[in-house]
Amino acid sequence: MQESSNRPLHGANESGLQYAKHIKYWRRNLKTYLPHHYTSNDSNRLTLGFFILSALDILGDLQPALSAEERQGYIKWVYSCQIPTGGFRGSPGTDFGSLRNDGNAVWDPPTVPATYFALGTLALLGDDLQGVKRREILIWLTRMQRPDGSFGETLGLGDRIEGGNDTRFGYLSTGIRWMLRGTVEGPVDGVPDVDVDQFVKCIRDSETYDGGISEDSLHEAHAGFTCCAVSALSLVDRLPLPANFAPKADDRIRGVSNLPLMLHWLTARQTMTLDEEDALDTYADETDSTATCHDGHAFLPHNYTSEAGRKSIESQPTSHFEMSWVGMNGRANKIADTCYAWWSCAPLKLLGHLELVNKKPIRRWLLDKTQHIVGGFGKLPGYPPDIYHSYLGLITLSMFGETGLQDVDPALCISTRAKEHLESLPWRKAVVGEPEPSKAETVPDLSYMTITGG
Amino acid sequence: MPILYGANPTWADVTPVPQEDGGPHPLAAIAYAEEYSEAMGYLRAVMAANEYSQRVLGLTEHIISLNPAHYTVWLYRAKVLDQIGANLADEISWLNPTALQHLKNYQIWHHRQTIIDKLGSPEGEGPFISTMLEQDSKNYHVWSYRQWLVKRFDLFDEAELAWTESMIEADARNNSAWNHRWFLVVGRKGGQALEESIVDREIQYAKAAIRKAPQNQSPWNYLGGVVRRAQLPASSLKDFVLEFADLDEPDKVFSSHALDLLADIYTQDEDKKDEARKALDLLAVKYDPIRAHYWNYRKGLLDSSPAAQQIA
Repeated sequence: MQESSNRPLHGANESGLQYAKHIKYWRRNLKTYLPHHYTSNDSNRLTLGFFILSALDILGDLQPALSAEERQGYIKWVYSCQIPTGGFRGSPGTDFGSLRNDGNAVWDPPTVPATYFALGTLALLGDDLQGVKRREILIWLTRMQRPDGSFGETLGLGDRIEGGNDTRFGYLSTGIRWMLRGTVEGPVDGVPDVDVDQFVKCIRDSETYDGGISEDSLHEAHAGFTCCAVSALSLVDRLPLPANFAPKADDRIRGVSNLPLMLHWLTARQTMTLDEEDALDTYADETDSTATCHDGHAFLPHNYTSEAGRKSIESQPTSHFEMSWVGMNGRANKIADTCYAWWSCAPLKLLGHLELVNKKPIRRWLLDKTQHIVGGFGKLPGYPPDIYHSYLGLITLSMFGETGLQDVDPALCISTRAKEHLESLPWRKAVVGEPEPSKAETVPDLSYMTITGG
Repeated sequence: MPILYGANPTWADVTPVPQEDGGPHPLAAIAYAEEYSEAMGYLRAVMAANEYSQRVLGLTEHIISLNPAHYTVWLYRAKVLDQIGANLADEISWLNPTALQHLKNYQIWHHRQTIIDKLGSPEGEGPFISTMLEQDSKNYHVWSYRQWLVKRFDLFDEAELAWTESMIEADARNNSAWNHRWFLVVGRKGGQALEESIVDREIQYAKAAIRKAPQNQSPWNYLGGVVRRAQLPASSLKDFVLEFADLDEPDKVFSSHALDLLADIYTQDEDKKDEARKALDLLAVKYDPIRAHYWNYRKGLLDSSPAAQQIA
């Protein structure tokens, strides 16, 4: 581990978020070319763009950072990624321009992640989404769902649904659905709905024996898939109802069949194993000690352990572990990683139980161990910052209530401000069925519900 | 980097399609290497023309080496292989080192599944997977792929179980290996109940692993899973749990997981609420304080309805 990562960045003992540095980091990502090692993310530029603008939004810097011209320019760029038949491509890299035709369109397809992040980015920038082929997207979404209820990433040759059948695409698909039509179930003005019941069954099928959600039936529990599943259930209004919550009770199938077990699994993601060196000891060592198990126990040597193990314990201090920093991991017996602070805590928040983790030492771990000196967050202590970990580290702190950061919506992974902007759009209100507050003269705009022919 | 296509007579008939980046304000623009920009220009040109040829196969290989997460290039490559009648075994030989270079990539595994599915044989996959696991014994993609392989070729056999045991022996804290055992034991039965002999075997296996390393959460989770799956009461584990955590000897607790399970067993017994409270206190204060909020929450549930608190 690098020496510098142990040093608090702010004051002598007090952890602090380096606002100015983070703003500088994100503005640089926005306004200058990303270094070439992002080439491996070239197909996900809409995702990167969303993270960059949303981070500035959370930092309260979106308004100051953008001129009106830049704002319009970014909106225009997002629309340039819209496919003529609906949905968004992940990046301009597959755009054939005037050469595009029905015969080659399959190589320049819209994808579920790109479409979600395009809509989110437009919302962040204050666009009204009137230029989005919303009806086409909703029809396309029904074709992205497999008979087992899962969603894919994109349509390939012969309309084959490509991409994994894990909850990542189910999450982003239900996110698109929420943005465009809220939680209303069934057909809306002739546009069919996805099969929500089957989707919920598919999630239940990925529940694991220890309480998490996995990539596929009987696979290993993973915080990323768990977060996507819980967020998706929230976006289709199928989370388990609190006990004694009669008013909303109905017969609809809901996700997370064993909530207490999931809470157990999610809180078990807190760990003291904070870097690779901590984890090394666990190999081929059957001993438990504060050195081999960093999960915060003080155990005495046990007669089950081997002679070698007993000796290794003798050299260890018997005092208590350091509780200043607690990290979050994504699976059992793995080391902490910045992104899992989000993947493990966001589902707790959505399930109404964020209070079950100790936010203070988790916050300190993010600020002291993975916050980088130049701004942003790295994956592990001493790692350089990257867009993905920097965004998830920042939004976690916001969810924890960090002073000076904008409130965020854990299901959409976006600021509450941007969410409310979406909710305020007249065409959406007309679909979702909310009454217009004191604007009776506003005529609901249903234009997107007709085929535009474009 | 040398210009690989523009000056190459093999590609003289192709006019590259430049990237159109949507105006003066692109988002997440990347400082592409010239090599990548050039190759992508040719890729757009051949994709737009639906060209399936040997030279295109080479081009996709080049792009993948620079951007392995380019999902359409993988789909396109699969189509090229199909159209030119390529030798799929050669494709696997090329994929092996490529996967080793890009350990956390989704697309490579999707492509591999497509190819192996067409080849119709899992031959050689075991050794390849072992090579991958030597790099990272908990690589999620590799374990998921192995599970696909087991399902596709019905490999729910003793050899697979023995291999899984060897992985657990090498690192008892490899939760992926534990989960693979679950996948084999439960997966081979489809949705059906496990036979009593299998349940016994699995319980004994987990217990033996716990006795070696009582603070290892993986076998504890596994044990709890088996007991729930077999619909046995948690109390059936009480004697075993007491080996590691007995409230009569609160200074000699050897596993927080044992204490956790003990608390759960007591919680389900109307007359043992005080014992449950004591176990949860020990966890919160002494043996697992980083989860103190959670243990205190469990304590608070002791007086509420049974449905809200039962895990086992």
